[in-house]
Amino acid sequence: MKVSYNWLKWYIPDAPEAEKLADIFTYHVAEVESVEALPDGDSIFDIKILPNRAPDLLSHQGIARELSSLLSIKFVDPTPKYKVPESKSTELKVELNTNACRRYMGRIIRNVKVCPSPEWMIKHLESIGERSISNVVDATNIVMFDCGEPTHIFDLNKVKEKIIVRQAKEGETMTTLDNKKCTFTSSDFVIADIENALAIGGVKGGKAAEVDSKTTDLILEVANFDPTIVRKTSARTGIRTEGSKRWENSPSPELAAYGMLELSALIAEMCPEAIFEEVVDIYPKQPEEKKLVFSNERISSILGLKVTNEEIKNILERYHIEYTEKDGNFEITVPHMRLDLTSEEDMAEEIGRVLGYDKVKPIIPKIDFKSKANEDYEKMKKVRAYLLSQGYSEVMTTSFREKGQVEVLESASDKKFLRENLHVGLRESAELNKRNLPLLLQNQVMIFEIGTVWSPQEEMHIAFTDSTASEVKELSLDEFYKTIPLEFLSEPINFNSETKFKMWSLYPFISRDIAVWMPKDENAVTLKKLLIENATELLVKEPYLVDSFVGKDGRISYAFRLVFQSYERTLTDAEINEIMDKISNKIKAKNGWQVR
Amino acid sequence: MSEDAKKSNRSGSRHPIALLAEEAYAAFAELGFEIALGPELESEWYNFDVLNVPPDHPARDMQDTFWIKDKPGSILRTHCTSVSAREIEKAGKEGRLPCAFISIGKVFRNEATDITHEMQFYQIDGVMIGSIEDGVSLANLKGVLTKFYKKMLGEDVEVEFRPSFFPFTEPSIEVFAKFKGKWLEMMGSGMLHPNVLKNCGLDPEKVQGFAFGGGLDRIAMIKWGIPDVRLFYQGDLRLNQF
Repeated sequence: MKVSYNWLKWYIPDAPEAEKLADIFTYHVAEVESVEALPDGDSIFDIKILPNRAPDLLSHQGIARELSSLLSIKFVDPTPKYKVPESKSTELKVELNTNACRRYMGRIIRNVKVCPSPEWMIKHLESIGERSISNVVDATNIVMFDCGEPTHIFDLNKVKEKIIVRQAKEGETMTTLDNKKCTFTSSDFVIADIENALAIGGVKGGKAAEVDSKTTDLILEVANFDPTIVRKTSARTGIRTEGSKRWENSPSPELAAYGMLELSALIAEMCPEAIFEEVVDIYPKQPEEKKLVFSNERISSILGLKVTNEEIKNILERYHIEYTEKDGNFEITVPHMRLDLTSEEDMAEEIGRVLGYDKVKPIIPKIDFKSKANEDYEKMKKVRAYLLSQGYSEVMTTSFREKGQVEVLESASDKKFLRENLHVGLRESAELNKRNLPLLLQNQVMIFEIGTVWSPQEEMHIAFTDSTASEVKELSLDEFYKTIPLEFLSEPINFNSETKFKMWSLYPFISRDIAVWMPKDENAVTLKKLLIENATELLVKEPYLVDSFVGKDGRISYAFRLVFQSYERTLTDAEINEIMDKISNKIKAKNGWQVR
Repeated sequence: MSEDAKKSNRSGSRHPIALLAEEAYAAFAELGFEIALGPELESEWYNFDVLNVPPDHPARDMQDTFWIKDKPGSILRTHCTSVSAREIEKAGKEGRLPCAFISIGKVFRNEATDITHEMQFYQIDGVMIGSIEDGVSLANLKGVLTKFYKKMLGEDVEVEFRPSFFPFTEPSIEVFAKFKGKWLEMMGSGMLHPNVLKNCGLDPEKVQGFAFGGGLDRIAMIKWGIPDVRLFYQGDLRLNQF
C-alpha cells in the first residue's frame, strides 16, 4: 500500500525522518518495497502489508497508530474535530437479506453540492497515486485510505424506494461505474433497490445510482462484508478494487462507526448547506470481546530470548491493550482492530517484532536428534559420484513435456504433461551439447540425469549416454545402483568456491584446428603460448590439444583446436581466416616449425 | 557403458544445483538434521491443508499451482514443506522426538518464466521440533541458519530476521543474508504454527519447533553470479563451471 509521509504526520507530528522510518517499518512492521521523494517534499512509501495486519494497517491512521505505539510518540486523535450537524429523523429504509453483510450503516444527506475537492484532498489522493473525481467521491476514497473502511455513496434520487442487501439472482446483470457489464451467479451478493442491483457487494459500484454533477441528495453506505464471498466474486468477475482488497482481509465491523463519522464530517465540512439525517445501523451480531492468555515464560521460550514482565507490560501499555498480570501470566483484551492476535505464538511475534529480532542471538541447539541415514539419498549420491568418476557430466532437463501419462490441468506453458522418462530430454541435451563440443573442450558428449519420472507412478530414474553409444540407457535408481561395482568408493566433493560463473556468448562460435610439426626438443607449451598471443580477444577458450604424434624423422606433430566467439556479434569466416593466416605466418617464421 | 567411456580418465562435471544440494545436506547433517525425501506429485492435504493454508488462499488458485488432471486433490508440490510435514507426522507416531529434518527437492509453480522465475526449481526446507523443555526457539533458528549461510556463501556472511507472515508459522520471519555488502532476501521461516503441529498429530502444548524454506537456485545464483534461473534446467553443459 502507498503511504504518504505528510499524511502520516497529521497523526504523528513527531515522526522520525522519512529515511529512518523506512528502516523502522522493515525491522518492526512490514517490508518497504520502495520510497519515493515527491517534488513537494512528501515521501511515499510502498509498504507490503501482509494478510495478518491488513485489517488495521491498510490505512494511514492504522500505520500512524502502529508507529505511535512502537516509537512511543504522540498520536493526535482526529475524532474531536469531526463535527456532524444535528441530524433529522430519517426516511431511509434498509433491508438486510443475506449473511454476506455483517453490518450496514446508511445515512441520507440532502442539499449537497457536487463540485471539485478542496486542495488538501486532491493533494492527499494524488500523492498516493489516486485520481481526484469530485468532492463527494473523493471523500469516500479519503476515508478508505485514512481509516481503512471502504464506503460507497448512491444518488438518493436514483434509488427506488429502499436499499436491499441480498444474494444476486442467477444470471442477473449490472453495469459497473466503469461501464463493464457483469453477470451474477447466486453466490454473489448485491446492494439493490426494489428493481435493480446498484452495486456488487464489497467490490464495485454500479451505473444505475451513480453520483454525478447534478446529484443533490445522497445515501452513504458504510458497511462490513464477508471476506470469502467478496474474494470469490472479485476473482470470478476479475474486478479487484481497493475496497474488495480490504474486505478480503476481514476488518472489524466496529470500524464502520468511525468510517460513518469521518465520511459524514468530511461532507459537512465541504457542503455547509447539507441537511443530515440520522444513521440507520443494522448490526445483527456484534463481535464478542475476546480474551487472550499468555505467559512470559512461553514467550521467552519461543523467542529464545529472556523477556522481562516489565518489557511486556510496557509494550501492552504502548499499544493500549488492556491486561492483567500475575506471576508472569498475562490476560489481555484483544483490541477489535487486532483480531489477528489469537494465540501465545501471536503474542510472541508481537513482543519479538516490537523489541526487534536483532535482540534474538544465534544459538546452536544442543540436542541429540539420533538422526538416521536416508537410504535413497545415499544411493543417489553414490550413483552420481560413480557416473562422475566414469567421465559423465550431470545435466538437468525440464519435467514438463508435450507427451506423457500424467497431465496438468492448466499450465503457463504448452507442455502440459509430466515426463514419463528421462531419455527423451537427455537426447535433446546430448544434441545441444554435441554442437558445443569445441566450446566444452571435449571430444564426446557424456552426460547423465538423475530425476523423477511419472509412468504413471512417480519413480526416480537414472539416464546416461555418450556420443559413441547410439542410445540413451535408462534405469530406475535401484536397478542402476546394483550395477555399481562393490569396490567403488566415492571421494568427498572438491571444488574451488572462489570460482565465478562466466556467462557464455549467445552468438555462434567458429572453431579451427591447426597442426604443427615441431623439433623434438621443443614442446607444445611454446606453441600454445604463441597461439594465445596471436589469436586476439576473440579466442574464448584456451587452445585445446586434440592430437599429437611423433613423425618418422623424430619431429612431433601437435594439433590444437582454437575456438573463436564474440559477445557482441556473429563472426565471419573472413576475419577468422585472417587471424589464422597471421598465426601460420608466425609459425613459419620459427626455426624448424612447420604448419602441416 | 561403452569402452570409450570406460577409457576416459577424466571425471565428469557437476551440475551446480546438485553440487550445492550435496553441500547443503552435509552442512545440515553436521547440525544433526536427518535427510528426508518426499513425492513431487503431492496431495493438496500435505501441500496446503496440513500447513494451515486456508481453503480460499490465492496460492491454491489454478494460476499459481499445477493441478493434476483426473486426479482431484493432487498437485505438483509448491514447496518442500510438504516433506517436512510428512516427516514430523511420522516422527510423532514413532515417538522419535526431538527431531530435525532437511529436504532439498524440485518444486513447481504455474507461472510465466523470466530470469528469476521458473516453473520448476529447487527448494531447501527444514524443520526442528523438540519438547517445551528442549525449547527449540527462534534463537536456535538463527543459530542454524547463520551457520548454514556461512558454509554456503562464506564466513563473512551475516544473517538477520525481519517480521513477516506465513500461514504455517507464528511468529513468521523473513531471513536476510548480507553478502558482499548487500542484504538479500533468502528464506521464509518461523516457529511452526500450533495448527500445523495439531494437523501433524502433535500437541502444541507439549512441543515447539521451527521451520524454514527457500530457493536453492537463488543461493546458487548469488554464490556464483549466475544471471538466469532458466539456465539450470536446459541440459546445457556450459553451466557446469564449478
